[in-house]
Amino acid sequence: MLMLDVRLVQGAFILNVETGIDARAVALVGPSGAGKTTLLEAIAGLRRPQRGTIAVGDHVLFSSARGVDLAPYLRRVGYVPQDVALFPHMKVRANLLYGAARNRDGRGSGAKRPGLDRILAMLEIESLIERGVTDLSGGERQRVALARALLSAPDLLLLDEPLAAVDVPLRRRIIPYLRRVRDELGVPLVHVSHDLAEVEMLADWVVELDGGRVVRSEKRERPLPSY
Amino acid sequence: MALGAWGLGLGGQPADVQVAAAVSLTEALQEIAAAAEKQQRIRVTLNLAASNVLARQIVSGSGADVFISADAAQMDVVAKEGLIRQRVDLLVNQLVVAVRSDSKVALASETDLTKPGVRRIAIGDPAGVPAGVYAKQFLEKAGLWRRLESKIVPTASVRAALAALESGDVDAAMVYRTDLGIARSVRAAFPPLPEPRVLYPAALLSATPHAARFFEYLRSPAAAAIFRRHGFGSVACNEDRVPEAVKAA
Amino acid sequence: MTPELLQVAAFTVATALAATALAVPPAIAIAWVLARGRFPGRALLETVVSLPLVVPPVATGLLLLYVFGRRGPLGASLASAGLDVVFTWRGVVLAMAVMGLPLVVRTARTAFEQVDARYEQVAATLGARPLRVFFSISLPLAARGVVAGAVLGFARALGEFGATIMIAGNIPGRTRTLATAIYSYTETGRDSQAAAVAAVSIGLAFAAVAISNRLAGAAR
Repeated sequence: MLMLDVRLVQGAFILNVETGIDARAVALVGPSGAGKTTLLEAIAGLRRPQRGTIAVGDHVLFSSARGVDLAPYLRRVGYVPQDVALFPHMKVRANLLYGAARNRDGRGSGAKRPGLDRILAMLEIESLIERGVTDLSGGERQRVALARALLSAPDLLLLDEPLAAVDVPLRRRIIPYLRRVRDELGVPLVHVSHDLAEVEMLADWVVELDGGRVVRSEKRERPLPSY
Repeated sequence: MALGAWGLGLGGQPADVQVAAAVSLTEALQEIAAAAEKQQRIRVTLNLAASNVLARQIVSGSGADVFISADAAQMDVVAKEGLIRQRVDLLVNQLVVAVRSDSKVALASETDLTKPGVRRIAIGDPAGVPAGVYAKQFLEKAGLWRRLESKIVPTASVRAALAALESGDVDAAMVYRTDLGIARSVRAAFPPLPEPRVLYPAALLSATPHAARFFEYLRSPAAAAIFRRHGFGSVACNEDRVPEAVKAA
Repeated sequence: MTPELLQVAAFTVATALAATALAVPPAIAIAWVLARGRFPGRALLETVVSLPLVVPPVATGLLLLYVFGRRGPLGASLASAGLDVVFTWRGVVLAMAVMGLPLVVRTARTAFEQVDARYEQVAATLGARPLRVFFSISLPLAARGVVAGAVLGFARALGEFGATIMIAGNIPGRTRTLATAIYSYTETGRDSQAAAVAAVSIGLAFAAVAISNRLAGAAR
């Protein structure tokens, strides 16, 4: 369902990834500087590969051979960066509804068009909706960012170390929310992770990068190295 | 260095004479200065601007040796400060209503300035620039000032009024008859105005002998001829004293 | 304040406001392009926009006079539409806008550069087109800086002299501003009036710069 063939040169760093993935939740692992964030940004359309193909199912997002390079706003790829980037000048509600315009346009499939109430309930953030984003805790920020991305009805969700900024007890509390996203909404997700437990609880496919290259891409069976 | 030289009236450096003069005299004075420099051991520096601007500069201590104003009022400003050693009425001139050569508005007299085809009239700033003061006097006397006031564009000098006409940004300008000699694609709409009498007083401000000699030279027949060639009427040519001045040089 | 001084002060503030309104939209666009864009000619645009800061204002005025004069390339068509620029209040506004523009661009550009591009990227992934991203994310986040720039441009407009006197002249009651009034009063020996006008313009400029600094400080 996710087809990645990306060659992206960025200064001295070369990202050269070629893999096909068939899974609901992909863990992207590897040491710092392996190119994990760069790969997510290429999928989201925030960085342009020199050549290659990126496709979600039969939806081609990028193809140098065919001259396709969809703008980020046309890709239907939700992206939660490491710092979650909640819009600081808007309340939680406005943040959540920012991408909902696309949700309403009817192009998303039924299963991927969750309503606000359902998302709020699922992530347990109903009580935050009138708050400003600056006084949210780390875990609350993560969940609001996740909800915001989901409400834009993405075909694919990219999470860059969604749990890096929260402490371990909170991490254990948030992982179930991510599992719900995966299972209840059926939105495939790719998440960058450094945490073995997180990978084991969430991912059914692991892609390991090192120095810009894929060193492993397979269903999760073997034990994972730790970073 | 120059100070020592002029004191003796000889030496290598020609003595400097600072002349502040109404901008309408530009071309005539450039010629006269060149002629005087050939005869006398002087170098003439011309400061040409609207007379009211020059009067302000002189009162503030700009250090001019000779001042030629385009009206008596600005000379009086300098006189009031007690800066004048000798004063004469040097030249006369006339105002003219000028239009562009390609102007389609027919102006037979000043009354026609009220025609709608004349939307803007440039004159020197009547608050001080002599050409503007004269122009306002004339229009007031003709009973036209109130009707024309909204069309008036005051300018920093008479030459600025002329420039605004040349560029086509105004439809008419009231300038001196003598200004038309240097203007491009500009003509008098009708013969020059008989009134008011435009009088240029000249004054000697400094006590230096070479300044006095240049002041004399301004009133020589040679200078008068140059002024006349540029269209000015000469009123202060002193036939008796000039040969002496020339001899002295 | 005499009625004359009051009129000149009101006219100056009104034209400076109009000039600010005229300059701010293009200034925002230019600032945005300079802050985020990578395109050929960027350095040239940057230089051209900054020119009025360093070129003598009178030279800028002269250029405007050529372009907007009744016989100029733009002025001729404007004049035939009944919109005279030279020696009118429009000339005052134009001169003020051109002279104030670089200050608005510089301040707004810094403000845009300080907006974390992350927000704009995430907005795009949420389906927002570039124009929506600009108006809903970039502009609100840079708003204080943009307003500070506008106030600074307004202050510059209040004091504009060289370009104004070239293109709009110095017509009492019609194009005379605080700056040109000071000049006129001085040249005609009305020193006390000149001093009164100077005092008013210093007061206005002081207030404008203080507001601008306050806004810029709060934006940081």
